[in-house]
Amino acid sequence: MTHHAPTNIPTTGPDDLVVRGAHVLDPSSGLDGVMDVRISGGRIAEVSENLKGLRNIEADGLHLFPGFVDVHAHWRTPGREDEETIETGSAAAAAGGFTSVVMMPNTDPVIDRPVVVSGLVRRVEGESRVRAYVSAALHEGLKGERLTEMRLMKEAGAFCVSDDGLGTQSSGVLRNAMLYAKDSGMPVILHCEDHTLATGVVHDGAAAALAGLPGSPGSAEDVATATALVLAAETGAKVHVTHVSTALSAALVGFFKGSVPAADVTADTTPHHLTLIDELVQSLEGMYRVNPPLRPEGDRLGVGEALRDGILDFVATDHAPHASEEKYLPLEEAAPGFLGHETAFSALFTELVLGGSLTLSRLVGAMSSAPGRWVGDGAGRIEAGAPADLALVDLSEEWTVRADGLLSLSGNSPYLGRNLKGRVVGTMVGGELVQDRTGARFGSRA
Amino acid sequence: MPARNLLTLEGTSRADLREVLDLARDYASGTVDRPLAGKIVCLAFFEASTRTAVSFELAARRAGADVISLSERGSSIQKGEGLIDTIVTLDSLGADAIVLRHPAAGAARLAALHTEAAVINAGDGRGQHPTQALLDLHALSGHLGGFDELEGRKVAVVGDVVHSRVARSIIPAFRAAGMELAIVAPQTLLPLDAGAWGLPVLPSVDDAVDWGADVLYALRLQKERMTGGSPRVPSVPEYARFYGVARRHLAGGAVVMHPGPVNRGVEVAGDVVLDASSLIPDQVASGVAVRSAVLALSMDVARSRVAA
Repeated sequence: MTHHAPTNIPTTGPDDLVVRGAHVLDPSSGLDGVMDVRISGGRIAEVSENLKGLRNIEADGLHLFPGFVDVHAHWRTPGREDEETIETGSAAAAAGGFTSVVMMPNTDPVIDRPVVVSGLVRRVEGESRVRAYVSAALHEGLKGERLTEMRLMKEAGAFCVSDDGLGTQSSGVLRNAMLYAKDSGMPVILHCEDHTLATGVVHDGAAAALAGLPGSPGSAEDVATATALVLAAETGAKVHVTHVSTALSAALVGFFKGSVPAADVTADTTPHHLTLIDELVQSLEGMYRVNPPLRPEGDRLGVGEALRDGILDFVATDHAPHASEEKYLPLEEAAPGFLGHETAFSALFTELVLGGSLTLSRLVGAMSSAPGRWVGDGAGRIEAGAPADLALVDLSEEWTVRADGLLSLSGNSPYLGRNLKGRVVGTMVGGELVQDRTGARFGSRA
Repeated sequence: MPARNLLTLEGTSRADLREVLDLARDYASGTVDRPLAGKIVCLAFFEASTRTAVSFELAARRAGADVISLSERGSSIQKGEGLIDTIVTLDSLGADAIVLRHPAAGAARLAALHTEAAVINAGDGRGQHPTQALLDLHALSGHLGGFDELEGRKVAVVGDVVHSRVARSIIPAFRAAGMELAIVAPQTLLPLDAGAWGLPVLPSVDDAVDWGADVLYALRLQKERMTGGSPRVPSVPEYARFYGVARRHLAGGAVVMHPGPVNRGVEVAGDVVLDASSLIPDQVASGVAVRSAVLALSMDVARSRVAA
């Protein structure tokens, strides 16, 4: 094993903990019913009925899912620790039920050299509550010109490479980067955006026209997605297209998956592109600037159907904290990005599952099993031998999103003030509770 | 009394427009004396502007207000002071009205959340330029013989709609005044969803004349639209041929308007700018009275003074 598996999380935990009476739902192993899960040595030892351990968590009425996996997060470390740190980012992730997270490399400095990678890996070991994987930059400084030392960065502990935040404007550079990433044995996470088309700050639609905001057309994403998919097929690199936000880009992914066997591609979309639309930008509030931009309802529906059908493999949050002075501005001047970890499950459960467009099983699969498979390490499964990475969720809890109730260091959630249903109440990584919002409940009975 | 902001003309009504224009007519005729005496009007211009700034300053002074002017050069704005901090400072200094010009849409709306003073939007990004549309209506009603004469007139809005805050104010305002609108522009100068307004899009000014336009409202074309990364217009001759207003378009009685400054020979033929069929000088002349009226209404001093 040369890479990445974060070593901060103990694989040997307190022996014999049993989560009792929860409704266990794991689409990958087919579990769907009330049962008990015994945890030993940081791993799941047994899933059965009438189990009792040295310590027990009574979870009647709760759901137990595989821990969620988020392949797209910005923890702003190093460089902007005023917005998020590994400690607060991982706390926010745990609060949202995430047990594994991939950190994007567009920090300051950019994660583009082996020494930076190894430094960050060491910090993660000391500071993260959840399993955190380091994505290195696909090209130096994310400038799209020189390739990074991918093999050396992999040796230093990098898990994957990415051009997130900026994309790769030259097809020639992208092709060679894919070939080299393939040699290095790392998957590539791509931010698909053509800067000659993406000249605006919101989607170029009716809302932009009426509000007087510079628009970027959907083609800015679609053209770059098509380029990435063609090059993925040609190079054979393991390519993951992140934050797909248009119906056409989703259809392109579907075409390559169905008709181009040489393409080893996966794709995700975000909770906000699945639940919010561009009408929000008519408020002209900086809060609603995000990249890719919020799209019209037709795209939201198209992306949602693609997720339902598995054309889009999973959900990733693009958790992007920003200081208030970067968001409380006219929209054109605001920094793009939303918080994501803490509201992802609740927003999707409320809008899609309760709204009737996605089953609970598919949502759980899209947040745990599918991204877990992509990350590997046995993540996203509830079965004997798998790491005891679990999310306990109360589907009946209603809550209102408030900035002061979030664990992120920043407050830029587009759901502020919204009432959501379903909430993560406990998160376990390697058998340890890293998030326990109802301490009394678990503490007294453990 | 709470301040009455003027942030946008989206959602304006015929009654709102008439109120401003009636008062502006009184002011233009010189029958009202210094309605803004004792009031402090602050001009906060975060973007270069000569015509609008001068017009507002004259409007405020002529109506008797004290005027504080913060322009880019030599002010805290140039030193990088943010919008909200500037607004809070002006508020603390006792401003009764703040006239704001800013490069980002929504700036006026955001500013209004941070002051008790009335906020007058003097242009924000591509968003809104409400006083321009009001002075256009003033000039046009003057030409036609009264506000009620606007009803049913046909206006072609010609040119760079996508970048134009003037377009975003005149479209809702002219509609509220009862006029019928069409757009004349190449698709490169329109938002992708130009259908958002529900207006017909015509391919040339000649077509607008055939459509029966009473008013040809030309928007300013920035020359840099022809260069840069993704040019939107091939050349001046090409643009002038299809989207420029020429003498032949005015033969049937239509008038030409333009918010200025005009690129002669581009949006409007040089020999037409000051022609009898041009309302361009009337537009500029309407600015002071209309802006005085807007300021007076925003500070709620208009009616009492008129009554007195």
